[in-house]
Amino acid sequence: MDFRPTEEQQMLRDAVASIAGRYGHGYYVERARAGQKADELWNELGQAGYLGVNVPEAYGGGGMGISELAIVVEELAHAGCPLLLLVVSPAICATIIARFGSEAQKERWLPRFATAELKMAFAITEPDAGSNSHLISTTASRDGDVYRLNGTKYYISGCDEAEAVLVVTRTGTDPDTGRGRLSLFVVDLDTPGIEMTLIPVEIVAPEKQFTLFFDDVVVPADRLLGVEGDGLRQVFFGLNPERIITAATASGIGRYALDKASAYARDRSVWGAPIGTHQGLSHPLAKAKVDVELARLMCAKAAWAYDSGADAGQAGEAANMAKYAAAEAALAALDQAIQTHGGNGLSSEYGLADLWGMARLMRTAPVSREMILNFVAQHSLGLPRSY
Amino acid sequence: MDMNVVVCVKQIPDPTAPQALDPATGTLVRDGKLILDDSDAYGVEMGLQLAEQSGGGEVTLVSMAPNAETSGLRTALAMGAAKAILVSDPLLAGSDALSTAKVLAKAIARANPDLVIAATESTDGYTGTTPVQVAELLGMPSVTFAKKVTVQGPAVHVERQTEAGFDEVECPLPAVVTVTAGVVEPRYPSFKGIMAAKSKPVDQLSIADLGLTAGEVGAGGARQQVVDVSAADERKAGEVVVDEGDAHERVVAFLEQLKIV
Ligand SMILES: Cc1cc2nc3c(=O)[nH]c(=O)nc-3n(C[C@H](O)[C@H](O)[C@H](O)COP(=O)(O)OP(=O)(O)OC[C@H]3O[C@@H](n4cnc5c(N)ncnc54)[C@H](O)[C@@H]3O)c2cc1C
Ligand SMILES: Cc1cc2nc3c(=O)[nH]c(=O)nc-3n(C[C@H](O)[C@H](O)[C@H](O)COP(=O)(O)OP(=O)(O)OC[C@H]3O[C@@H](n4cnc5c(N)ncnc54)[C@H](O)[C@@H]3O)c2cc1C
Repeated sequence: MDFRPTEEQQMLRDAVASIAGRYGHGYYVERARAGQKADELWNELGQAGYLGVNVPEAYGGGGMGISELAIVVEELAHAGCPLLLLVVSPAICATIIARFGSEAQKERWLPRFATAELKMAFAITEPDAGSNSHLISTTASRDGDVYRLNGTKYYISGCDEAEAVLVVTRTGTDPDTGRGRLSLFVVDLDTPGIEMTLIPVEIVAPEKQFTLFFDDVVVPADRLLGVEGDGLRQVFFGLNPERIITAATASGIGRYALDKASAYARDRSVWGAPIGTHQGLSHPLAKAKVDVELARLMCAKAAWAYDSGADAGQAGEAANMAKYAAAEAALAALDQAIQTHGGNGLSSEYGLADLWGMARLMRTAPVSREMILNFVAQHSLGLPRSY
Repeated sequence: MDMNVVVCVKQIPDPTAPQALDPATGTLVRDGKLILDDSDAYGVEMGLQLAEQSGGGEVTLVSMAPNAETSGLRTALAMGAAKAILVSDPLLAGSDALSTAKVLAKAIARANPDLVIAATESTDGYTGTTPVQVAELLGMPSVTFAKKVTVQGPAVHVERQTEAGFDEVECPLPAVVTVTAGVVEPRYPSFKGIMAAKSKPVDQLSIADLGLTAGEVGAGGARQQVVDVSAADERKAGEVVVDEGDAHERVVAFLEQLKIV
């Protein structure tokens, strides 16, 4: 067992850290509060190939895996720039297209994922089908050469900046189980019949969330990914990367918070000694450090399991555990960092409290804490399914 | 004309990490991972730009470092340099700037460059004496403190930073030019660059490979020796002038005392 990163992985980490460090959390917050995107950062990273590290080399990408994408995402978050769209566009969409797309589809989209010129949103969640994807009611029905999409998706990130969205639809129902037969489509967001409305959320991030309405949206048949009805299996292939990249984002936020907290606790003194001297502050920070490092370890294991093609069960279990652990660790680290800063913890200047919405999100999305515990109880511990 | 450029790159202990001196020799401990000296990133970028502008040239890196260290070289290779020559030999321990220059000159000569670029001074040793010694040993002219470098035909044009402004200097090639941090903005390596760096050739040489002997370089050849190391004076706490209506007078009086005004 060798825990050392490869030389390339270390260089990747260093390079992204220094680019992101030049922008920093101040830039991120300023853009977010002004309702703008982190375009300069995104474009600089994209042009250097850092946002397409996991896109196959044959299509201009880096030819590496989710392990490398996780490094990129973690360092961005560590620099105070957690970019939500990375969880969606390269992690889910590029992965699914590279795996299930036809040659023509891969040629159409992957080269622009490689440079991150293409941003693609991902839509599975519906008002009446959140944690239960079998209940999806957005339908796609074949009509000659085209499909017609009808239904509603919500909490879809980045629709205002993405060019297209990968939509999970129902194309039939299994007569035995009553569950939906799902199919995936890539739909351009300017297609007539699509409407989007903003969902205001208390998260300080450049990305925004939307409700997407599909009203008889005509989609050419060549936008169907893979085989009709095979969507559930295809989506699952993209969901492990989604969880791993979420875990990496959370780990980065945890490290960001701990860096700030430990610097402040070394420096600030109120009773003649630095506040970090008091174990009432140092122990919770030490515990938070342990938890963040454990989460990073599980994240690296999950990415390795996924990239090495270890059996899907192992990758799925590790990805879920990493996402759970990292979200909890990030939230605890951030909370303790805020506490360490006293009143300053709540100030805008210190750049901590504004990250709470983002860190808190990771306990809920893309899969909630409870659904992960359900998974672990059932699959890792062999307990009966409760729902 | 294809321009082949050699860029000297020093690999140094991470300046942001705590540093230690070896109590026996008084020199810097260099056991851990070494990184590309930031000062040399400018030289690498300048070399790459000149080679690219020439149409078909390439950049060869030359470095002398302990323990066959290549981490810093890989960073420069990822930026786009084509290959590297690394001189690493236990006999080099205790090298002073002249020993270093002898080694670098021999290694550079192998690459037969049109232009040699170095930084004006390194971040860790910062004597700023190595490159001119290299030039002397190679029998090349040298131009120091370049803030702008262009190549026209067989000559290099340099804007040379001075205290008052800059000198414009023209010098025949091959030559040694030292560059300042203002010369160009170093690029970040692209991800493809990082992936390609691993397979680029690093020619690792001993002093014997260069035709040098232990008496000429390392501790044996050093003309310079660290005889004593003492801690720098702690900086005294500044004086805070609280304004009670006369602050401007007290500040002026203080500056007068320092003969600044
Ligand atoms: C900022 C943000 C961005 C998002 N971006 C996207 C996106 O880009 N694309 C997308 O498709 N979706 C996105 N989502 C949606 C997100 O994935 C869902 O909100 C999440 O999966 C939870 O689903 P839900 O909101 O429907 O909750 P519900 O399924 O209604 O769950 C409500 C609560 O009940 C619990 N619960 C449900 N079932 C069980 C059970 N069996 N056992 C125990 N507890 C249970 C849940 O854990 C949760 O706490 C985003 C959400 C947010 C807030
Ligand atoms: C205080 C001190 C401690 C030292 N400790 C050690 C030690 O522990 N072990 C040891 O082996 N040597 C040691 N040296 C030698 C040192 O590492 C240098 O290689 C040599 O003295 C060059 O001096 P400099 O760093 O001042 O270079 P400068 O003259 O300031 O360097 C100018 C430029 O020359 C080039 N250059 C300089 N050195 C190299 C190099 N090695 N490879 C490639 N390019 C180079 C770079 O472009 C550099 O920016 C020490 C030197 C000093 C002054």
